[in-house]
Amino acid sequence: MEIVVLIKPVPESETRLRASPDGRRLDSEGVRFVLAGYDESAVEQALLLKENVPGSKVHAISFGPARCGEALRAAIALGADAATWIEAPPEGSDDPILAARALASALSSIPYDLLLGGKHAGDDEEGIVVGAVAELLGIPSFGSVTDVRPAGPSGLAFQRPTEAGIESWETSLPCAIGLQQAWNDPRTAKLPNILRSRKAPIAKVDWPTVAKALGSESSPRSLSEEFRLPAPRSGAKMIEFQTPEEAAEKLVRLLREEAKVFP
Amino acid sequence: MTPTVLVIAETSGAAVAGPTQEAFGVARSLAGADGSVVAVTIGGPSAARSLALLGPKEIWVADVPPESITSGAVAILAAQAAEESRAEIALVGGTSFGRDLTGRLAVRWGAAAATGVTEVAIVRPGALRVRRPVFGGRATETRALTGPRAVIALRPHAFPEAPATGGAPPIHVLDPSLLSASKGGARRRSLAPAETGSGPSLADAAIVVAGGRGMRAAENFRLIEELARSLGAAVGASRAVTDAGWRPSSLQVGQTGRTVSPQLYIAVGISGAIQHLVGMVSSRTIVAINTDPGAPIFKVADYGIVGDALAIVPALTREIRRVRGLSET
Amino acid sequence: MPEFSLTAEQESLRDLARKFARTEMAPKAAECDKSARFPEEIYRKAWELGLMNLNVPTEYGGSGLGALDQCLIVEELAYACGGMTTSIIANCLALEPILLGGSPAQKSRWLTPFCSEYHLASFCLTEPGGGSDAAGLKTRARKDSEEYVLSGEKCFITNGPHASLFTVFATLDPSLRSKGVAAFIVPGDAPGIVRGKDEDKMGHRASSTSTIRLEEVRVSRDQRLGGEHDGFSIAMRTLDQTRTPIGALATGIAQAALDLAARYSLERKTFGKPISEHQAIQIKLANMVQAVRAARLLTWHAAWTIDRGQPGTLESSIAKCYASDAALRVADEAIQIFGGYGYMRDYPVEKLMRDAKLTQIYEGSNEIQRIVTARELLRQYG
Repeated sequence: MEIVVLIKPVPESETRLRASPDGRRLDSEGVRFVLAGYDESAVEQALLLKENVPGSKVHAISFGPARCGEALRAAIALGADAATWIEAPPEGSDDPILAARALASALSSIPYDLLLGGKHAGDDEEGIVVGAVAELLGIPSFGSVTDVRPAGPSGLAFQRPTEAGIESWETSLPCAIGLQQAWNDPRTAKLPNILRSRKAPIAKVDWPTVAKALGSESSPRSLSEEFRLPAPRSGAKMIEFQTPEEAAEKLVRLLREEAKVFP
Repeated sequence: MTPTVLVIAETSGAAVAGPTQEAFGVARSLAGADGSVVAVTIGGPSAARSLALLGPKEIWVADVPPESITSGAVAILAAQAAEESRAEIALVGGTSFGRDLTGRLAVRWGAAAATGVTEVAIVRPGALRVRRPVFGGRATETRALTGPRAVIALRPHAFPEAPATGGAPPIHVLDPSLLSASKGGARRRSLAPAETGSGPSLADAAIVVAGGRGMRAAENFRLIEELARSLGAAVGASRAVTDAGWRPSSLQVGQTGRTVSPQLYIAVGISGAIQHLVGMVSSRTIVAINTDPGAPIFKVADYGIVGDALAIVPALTREIRRVRGLSET
Repeated sequence: MPEFSLTAEQESLRDLARKFARTEMAPKAAECDKSARFPEEIYRKAWELGLMNLNVPTEYGGSGLGALDQCLIVEELAYACGGMTTSIIANCLALEPILLGGSPAQKSRWLTPFCSEYHLASFCLTEPGGGSDAAGLKTRARKDSEEYVLSGEKCFITNGPHASLFTVFATLDPSLRSKGVAAFIVPGDAPGIVRGKDEDKMGHRASSTSTIRLEEVRVSRDQRLGGEHDGFSIAMRTLDQTRTPIGALATGIAQAALDLAARYSLERKTFGKPISEHQAIQIKLANMVQAVRAARLLTWHAAWTIDRGQPGTLESSIAKCYASDAALRVADEAIQIFGGYGYMRDYPVEKLMRDAKLTQIYEGSNEIQRIVTARELLRQYG
């Protein structure tokens, strides 16, 4: 099985967020970018399938600026066999539809049976890319999936927790799957593999090539205008009471009438 | 301007999903007095009748067997309804299915897309501005979407559900043969319905009740669970609780656990170590119940009660049952 | 020009160590400290990830890292638990004599099978009669045709109760002092190895320490490292290599103490404001961060010197000594900032002080480090 994992570098979870000087986006100065947690789950799923289906290969692909290289190396250290960086326009782009078009265009020359991605990335949380790539390629897609297993000679079975319950699905290949985080315990790359990943080749598709392939679709239609941090909270309104019943009654009243969060 | 806003409605039998009702409210305000709201759903006549009560001008329906409902199929049908209704904006409820659909529909219909949206406005014809939380709610971004078409998935619980207005709009039935073009042999084999009483999942819940070391013993944790049940809330826990083995680590909220941002987060007996705070600080309203008035949790909370959780929580559960008209069980 | 930024490779090594430290070690640090439990499951996992035999070349199954790379990893591990870190890096110390003094045949015979599975090794130099007087060893090596017979007692041996390999220093002739010392490889199951009880220590309680008695332990000639007179030099050169990571270990403890204290100072209120707004606390924090930064830079500099192929005796002695003194001082101040809570075992700071204390004592006490430092310093003037 040819498994392609779509990955994205996101800021380390402990990053102190701040807006860029123009106020339009996250200030990435000094920020370390790592493989997104959801993407780690996707790589883990790819590796589990590869271990299950002899002859499988895992190919990690990332669209974005040069920092994609680090996320791709992290995927290689975990066990991906190949990596391709698809360059974003120099002015940057965070339009998920444009990302999907660039990825789909690169996939015209990369073999795939299964596309895997995180349910959404830990930064912008759009969760659009996997479905959009699938639509462009004309293959089925499923989001928030857990536990993908081979089924039959050329199919897959998986679970999908939804608001209604847990669905069990079977699908033929090729297809695209967005994975839920943390359902599998992603492995940690071993030190020798990390060292090896530093020397692994990363294929590059440069932006002019991508732009040419996309033609009139190469300009973004979703642009970040403002990045804002919430105002710090001023501290709790403390509830005075004599009895637990009084505390409960006052709290419920505040939640209903003031915070309006409680029906 | 008179935009036509298409709501991609989720129905189950005659029931209209809560997020769809939220989407109707948003659709009405975007359409304004001059525009119109239309809807499309996968379902039968009963779904269309329920949807009609929310007042769309026209309804498109397609009856697809549940085991064949994929995002690919819905994208085809929704794009068809969007074409026929000449919609400019498609609104999707904030469900996992809605999120899956957004990217596919945007590509199929040639639209810009955004998900998790908490505010949306039409800036001028063909240009929208949306606001959405990012980084687990630690920040928000405003994005400009270039139309004329846009698919927008709303964040769950971010908007009130629209009240029913009634109406008898024309109902168009979409031809299921549209789906013959879709590739792939995906089939839903089974659905294990969510256990009644197990409550919503931690990640999706509108309300989370989380307990910490202040519950003092594993057996007291059922007080947290009873409070959660009375609220229809998910149960969370601090690391102290999961490390002690009182509850499984899947319930852990915080740096090494889950990040949640519900409408209401009730932290009971949780002091509020930074590792916990990063997992819940973006919740809209935070209630803290703790014996220590100096506990850092009170700094991020909106409402605080200094007191013993073992006394306060049962009283709170009783009060909530009372106001919600629930019987003591 | 000095270059203080790390390469992408070094950052990814540090990320690995940080992740392991925070997800595997930190959650169990308090429990292992309290019950003096030796968390074998953690050490096994450290080995699986390649975090154990850091200095062993990859051709023998180790990680083949340089000194600075090792220091980056050790600091991250020690941030979570100094004791566990001591047990994890004990192999580096125990195997270094083989790397320095072993023939190619000895290296592949002993290191390759050892590193291909989870095994612990112990460095056996210190004796009850004197820790730092390596030239005055009492453990005897007696020649018996093609074999040596080792007798004596070693003490404070890290991982002693669990080791499957020992590097043992013994004297063939005490009258020759340092020239009489030879180094030997002794398998853990050699007849005559008697392991003492696990010591009850003040700190580093997740690590395990015991005496190792050698009762007529027979080793063949090809288990001797280098010549009959090379043992002392091997021991000293080993310590030149492993002293710097102790500086990193101490820096990790100090950084943990600083982080806890700084965070607490923002939370804790006295006289109506967070204690971080009191200058008395600010001065403490300023002193602490100075000490932590200086410790790290001295450690990095020593590692950089060694990575350039120099012995780095002066640099590593300064780094180990300064960083360990800094760790104790910073941990002490952290307890002071926590006040009464800091003295309570339920809070994590007092453990840091107990763990920091050992870094002043082991792998050459700080008194010895100062003597070495002064000797190396004066050599430049003499």
